[in-house]
Amino acid sequence: MEEERKFYLTKKGLEQIKKELESLKKIKASKIKGETPQLLHSEDVNPEYLTFREDMNFLESRIAELENILKNAVLIKIPPKTKQNIVQLGATVTLEESGQINEFMIVGTLEANPNEGKISASSPIGKALLGHKIGDEIIITSPIRVVYKIKKIKYHSM
Amino acid sequence: MKENLKFFLEVNKLKETQRTGWVLMKVKNPETIAEHTFRVAIEAWFLGEKKKLNVETIIKTAIAHDLCEVYAGDKTPFFYWDSLDKSKGEQENLLLKGIRLSQKEKEKRGRIKFKKEQESLLKLIKSFNSELKREIYSLWFDFEKRLSQEGKFVKQVDRIETLLQAIEYFEAQKKPGGTSWWELTEEIVEDPLLLDFLKVIQNKFYGHKKEWRREVEDKELEKELNGILDFFLEIGKLKRFPRKLWVQLGIENPETVAEHIFTLALMAWIFGNKEKNLKIEKLLKMALCHEIPSVYTGDLITPYERVLFNTKKGRRKVFEKWPRLTKKEKEKNFLKDYKKEKKALKKLTKSLPQGLREEIISLFDEYKTTQSAEARFLNQLNVLAVLFQELCYRKEDKGLPIGFLWEWAFEKCDNKMCLEFLEELKRQFL
Repeated sequence: MEEERKFYLTKKGLEQIKKELESLKKIKASKIKGETPQLLHSEDVNPEYLTFREDMNFLESRIAELENILKNAVLIKIPPKTKQNIVQLGATVTLEESGQINEFMIVGTLEANPNEGKISASSPIGKALLGHKIGDEIIITSPIRVVYKIKKIKYHSM
Repeated sequence: MKENLKFFLEVNKLKETQRTGWVLMKVKNPETIAEHTFRVAIEAWFLGEKKKLNVETIIKTAIAHDLCEVYAGDKTPFFYWDSLDKSKGEQENLLLKGIRLSQKEKEKRGRIKFKKEQESLLKLIKSFNSELKREIYSLWFDFEKRLSQEGKFVKQVDRIETLLQAIEYFEAQKKPGGTSWWELTEEIVEDPLLLDFLKVIQNKFYGHKKEWRREVEDKELEKELNGILDFFLEIGKLKRFPRKLWVQLGIENPETVAEHIFTLALMAWIFGNKEKNLKIEKLLKMALCHEIPSVYTGDLITPYERVLFNTKKGRRKVFEKWPRLTKKEKEKNFLKDYKKEKKALKKLTKSLPQGLREEIISLFDEYKTTQSAEARFLNQLNVLAVLFQELCYRKEDKGLPIGFLWEWAFEKCDNKMCLEFLEELKRQFL
């Protein structure tokens, strides 16, 4: 389990963690009472995920993990207007390269999912983007250079 | 057993499905999903052990991570390829540079991909008992959603393996490496050990140019990771080594050694799960390294190989039944092969950290000499994996000789579950 480190989460991410914890606790309580856990329907917590989470060891370790995350969670806030031209956690960054547009949302490690365009601030691309402003050129340092220009930085309500 | 057999028949499709990215890049005879999984599993094991993660979970996650592709196919970042508006000549550019999309579009496509793969996996495992179904599904889910430390770690290793394979293909073809795989990797990797491993990869392949060299602070670690990388590159050859038995039988586009290892590791997990006295982590590791000396020896078909290939009879005729040998002759052949493989294994593992090297050699020794419960079980599963594969080939080519493999299985198997699986094979195929 990861301990004593901060977990940066969007408001939505934080809500999801809370809901998952709540659902797992309910399943655990049902298990203790010897009942068959009811399938919980929630848009935020994947039902198929919960259906298979009946193993007590899993339940206990995941509950402990989620509690630790909540204890050390830091909510990502939308920065003040004057600082919204800088890439920080929670920003959706629009990049241009050779006339093509590419976008990433910069999130904390728990919410990262590059398949859905959400990248961790600790990944090389995330790190390369953090702190930069609109108009800056970012060089991705892989062996074959990619030069991105930051076109837009947006902070949506998270 | 019926469900198990059906599962393995379906999973065998992963040995025929070439990975989409390479097909689009027109790589000649590219790796299959099963071959990819083989090296991800070994990489995840070695690197995960260094991170002190749960290695059993790591290996199982790696083995399970692409099972969803049995029905969903390999949906790479280019899975929306057909819907792209691309003029002639632009294709290669797109593939080399990767596809740029808005965040919203990525999210949409990511969700479609997840849903398809989820449905595919649930369909594949639906007849398993609830415990096994839960285990496979949870490991896959944790990998996809990066929920557990192990799932998150394997997700990153999976991407690094794809990058490594891309470098191997494009270096070999003297083509530009393509930024897309570097970019995709750099989007996902955030673990400090894996970030250092990426630097080691970059220095190995591109470090001849000063501006591309990356500093790894811990020089000891850099040396160790370099040795591990050399090992991964060597065993990558097994993705291109067709199994000799199938070649001798004249089978077109036969299973490779890497694919056989994938099947055996999966069998070790599925069947080993029910054997309460076995250590699954050990069994999985043993399956992953039971045939790696083939990198230098080529796979040795059977202890009778020498006799088989010295004969002048037609190839298929030779396989109709095992050559009859005395106990002494069998022992002599076994020792000769064992020594050859052990020598190859020592050479292959010499770049690895000492602890890991000793572990692999000891697992191999145990397997070959059947000194433990895990080794005895795996030896039997190995026979079943070979027999199963031949039976699959035989569906297309009824002329293939099969008696010798049944005979081999009858000689080797005494485990209750293995015997039950053997019975199921008889029911389904005879």
